[in-house]
Amino acid sequence: MSKTLTRLGCALLGAALAVYTLPAFAKDIVLGASVQLTGSSANTGRYYRDAYEFAIDKINEKGGVKVGDKQEKLALKLYDNQSNVNLSVRQYVQLVSQDKVDLLLGPFASNFALADSAISEKYKIPMVQGGGASDQIFSRGFKYIFGTLAPASNYFGSTVEMLTKLDPKPSKVALLYADDAFDVSVAKGTRPLLKKAGLTIAMDERYTSNASDFNSLLSQIKNANVDAVLVAGHETEILNFIRQAKSLAVAPKMYSFTVGVPSADFRKALGKDADYAFGMTAWLPSPKLKDKWFGDAEQFAKAYKAKFGYDPDYHAASGVADVEAVVEAIEAAGSTDHEKVRDAIAKLNFPSLYGTIAFAENGQIDLAQTVIQVQDEKLVPVYDANGFVEKPKYPMPAWNAR
Amino acid sequence: MDLFAQILVNGVLLGGLYAVMALGLALVWGVLNIVNLAHGAFIMLGAYLSWHLYTYLGIDPFLGLPITAILMFCLGYAVQRGLLNLIVRAPMFNTLLITFGLEVVLTYLAQIAFSADFRTINPSYAGAHISLGPLVIPLARLMAFGVAIVLTVGMWVFLLRTRLGRAIRATAQNLVAARLYGVEPRHLYAMTFGIGIGLAGAAGGLYGTVSQINPYIGATLTAKSFAIAIIGGLENPLGVIVGGLVLGIIESLTVAYVGATFGDVASFGVLVLVLIVRPSGILGKTA
Repeated sequence: MSKTLTRLGCALLGAALAVYTLPAFAKDIVLGASVQLTGSSANTGRYYRDAYEFAIDKINEKGGVKVGDKQEKLALKLYDNQSNVNLSVRQYVQLVSQDKVDLLLGPFASNFALADSAISEKYKIPMVQGGGASDQIFSRGFKYIFGTLAPASNYFGSTVEMLTKLDPKPSKVALLYADDAFDVSVAKGTRPLLKKAGLTIAMDERYTSNASDFNSLLSQIKNANVDAVLVAGHETEILNFIRQAKSLAVAPKMYSFTVGVPSADFRKALGKDADYAFGMTAWLPSPKLKDKWFGDAEQFAKAYKAKFGYDPDYHAASGVADVEAVVEAIEAAGSTDHEKVRDAIAKLNFPSLYGTIAFAENGQIDLAQTVIQVQDEKLVPVYDANGFVEKPKYPMPAWNAR
Repeated sequence: MDLFAQILVNGVLLGGLYAVMALGLALVWGVLNIVNLAHGAFIMLGAYLSWHLYTYLGIDPFLGLPITAILMFCLGYAVQRGLLNLIVRAPMFNTLLITFGLEVVLTYLAQIAFSADFRTINPSYAGAHISLGPLVIPLARLMAFGVAIVLTVGMWVFLLRTRLGRAIRATAQNLVAARLYGVEPRHLYAMTFGIGIGLAGAAGGLYGTVSQINPYIGATLTAKSFAIAIIGGLENPLGVIVGGLVLGIIESLTVAYVGATFGDVASFGVLVLVLIVRPSGILGKTA
């Protein structure tokens, strides 16, 4: 009895381990990264794994990287950090000191990038990351960290601008945010924007990450008669928020969320209830965004969907842009020397499927956020730097009038 | 005033949901002396089971609860019979280790089988509500609350009145005496664990209807259930309802009136307080 059990246990363990370990190739230029393939952030982490692999395969297919006069191939060394920050820090140390990878790509999420960038700084090896947007990452004078997500403090920038142009104009705003690096940065950046726009902040509440019960906050929102609700949080929280808003019949004139809305999986989980939700994205798969390897963003999105079975969102595009930035920098530097590549990354300025890649002095890119809305279960761009794109569905009707 | 009443209603309904989640954990802990760290993972499996029944077979999540519970009962029976009975009389530390291992295995198997996509069980009435003057009562939560009461009272009657229930209590109180009266502990332990997991499965179905499902919801649900079981006490299923309500109401009030980051501080603060003042739970006997 116990022998069979031991065997069964070993088989199960073996199966689990087989999934963890991804093959590493002893090819020429190795990029190292640790991303969330399991654990609470696995849902978004996979965008980075798929984006890195997709971009590297594509670049190799088109001949690889030109270093001096030699053409070299790219390879990826990827670890699963199990959504654990401490583990991801150890894995980056391992990538640099044992695996001796040439350059680093980033993890998902600001708190991870915040911790992991200490490793790239310590070992003086450039890391281009597309998963951390918090301003904190770039405010420490670090020289080896570069980010391709637009600054967290300005996530709601275009949304607030749009609020002032809506009819009827909302006056009372509730700002809710989770207690992690990214969302705190969002809230910190949004407050002055709201004040400048002449809007009243009726509620300003920080909540615990991974909270699942929003009934109290929703009751307060209803009681305070708020017009617009801005939530900076994680997808699971926002799913719960919307479902519970429905069951408590809380319908402000509009609500907007930092994450979730651009993701196909999120909209699928909510079905019709996702309608009217606003969000933002710095990237839409437009044919106007030309790319050296993928043609343009639209073609990229199609190829990505065909390969992985789900639509890419800005996380995926940002991940691809990271690989492209590293490749462009190696080609410009003519070597993989860390110092030379770092300086080349800082000087980059090239068009990509994600937008123009050019880093500011602090290492972060700046892209305008397009306001998007779910209308009839489809994602629609509503407002960008040039004003309204499509008509927003506003104000949101009561839940029983939908 | 309206706000206060609404927050109180929210807390009571949340407490009902908490109680169903903790019911199975408290039973297994009380009778087998196993703190099942995989309890939340079983809730997660129950949620996926209900989701599949609803999505592919169109079975309403509330009507599907018995099916989920029975299937989960079978799983629980098998796990106890094949695995946990090996260590049931070992020191507490071993049972913690093995159930923790079980938690990890179940979670990762779930990610392989179901992916990390978010799921919701979303029948037409999931977002419906009943208005009572200024108060709004979410229908699904009210139904979940009803299920909680039925299951808890059912458990209570079952343990007090039925032959099997008496045998379970007898084994918990005095194993030697129970064996002298012809109780077969291996089967009985497996029955108890099966019932505990069946209850976890039912809780999962309810959870999926009011919240969202992914492979990683287990750990926090185990922690909540653990706190409720301690606050309520293990001797009496009614204690779990009390524990759930206390926790639900305190969390709701704290989030509304102290700050949204203080919910967990308050609930685990109560846990510590209960351990100091009434170590065997609010409804437990005082030493």
